[in-house]
Amino acid sequence: MAALKLAHRFDAERCRHFIGDQVSVLHCHHYATLFTQLAIDAQDLVDGTKILKEVTEDVVHGVLTKYYSENGISDPQERLEIGVQLYSFYGLGKMVLVSPGSGGGAVEMSTAHVDEGWIKKWGKGKAPVNFIGTGFIAGMFAAAFDKPVRTYQVDEKQSRVMGADKSVFAVSL
Amino acid sequence: MAIDRNKIIADMSKVKAESNPDGIIPAFNVLVNQMPAQFWNGFTRRMVDAVADEVKDAVEELLINAAHECGYHTGYGIITSKEWDAIVKPMVGGVEDVLHGAFAVFTAWGWAKSEIVELVPGKRMVVRAHDYYEADVAQEYPGKKAPRLMAYMIRGVSAAFMDLAYGGAYDSTGKQGLYTFRCKQTKGIEKGDPFGEFLVVPAAEYDTL
Repeated sequence: MAALKLAHRFDAERCRHFIGDQVSVLHCHHYATLFTQLAIDAQDLVDGTKILKEVTEDVVHGVLTKYYSENGISDPQERLEIGVQLYSFYGLGKMVLVSPGSGGGAVEMSTAHVDEGWIKKWGKGKAPVNFIGTGFIAGMFAAAFDKPVRTYQVDEKQSRVMGADKSVFAVSL
Repeated sequence: MAIDRNKIIADMSKVKAESNPDGIIPAFNVLVNQMPAQFWNGFTRRMVDAVADEVKDAVEELLINAAHECGYHTGYGIITSKEWDAIVKPMVGGVEDVLHGAFAVFTAWGWAKSEIVELVPGKRMVVRAHDYYEADVAQEYPGKKAPRLMAYMIRGVSAAFMDLAYGGAYDSTGKQGLYTFRCKQTKGIEKGDPFGEFLVVPAAEYDTL
């Protein structure tokens, strides 16, 4: 199995943390869930949930594409394994891929930072809220199969926040 | 014993965030994530840029509030953590030391290379940030200069730290103690200033600024 290898360093001059060559920052579930709530609440003004999904997709696609290139990883299944590990490395939860392929597949999450944080903060909800996870999956699939962003449609079909024992995402072209 | 800012930054910057087998990072009484700064900046920039000018202020307030609430709860988690007890607490002689220590931790964690340059206990605080990830948003604008001050996270967290210091006992529900202070950004690297500057005052005085 391909193993994700990312070095962490602290730039003492600028007081910045880097994971690989990306500036990284620690934030908590309050921030992630409040950004998510903000995205939902702003719907009358702007499609905030779409922005949240797309910015995650763009960032993840960029990080993974660069990682694959620099580490010579070309097999899509290995690439997906790396993506799954990156999701956990970021502290976003645990993904299990179900029948993944270039046409899509499904992703299950027994834990998710946004969902666990949401439940911890506000309790269960009536609709899926893991737009960050949705965008991550879209970026991860696109990078794995050398596709541009917005290639994959990802829908959260079952949600931890709504009381399910695991979240389930459908991935399609 | 005075606060040794350099020692706090050196020691606290080594605290590692590692996910558990469930891919979750529980730390400081919260769940932590370590996403690229580009993600946080990307969301705030796209949200602010996407709305009409007349509602930009409203969206900005929501972004600040998210950081304010985060800073209140995570800030409390930090100052009650074992890491704080081991590294910072031996240097703390009073509330003001807690605030100086908190900004050293804020710096160590990569949020902003920041320090308090003026503090009137319970009344006013001025924070200066010499480097902060939110300033990187300027790279996305023409001429690498943001059209407005955009350090929403620093604004929210700075106000939250004053809430924790002078707003009364910590309230995990956030119904009391939170939002007793507000912060205005007066300078920003993202707009071409040499540093970011942030003025925190009691919430009741904010509208007079």
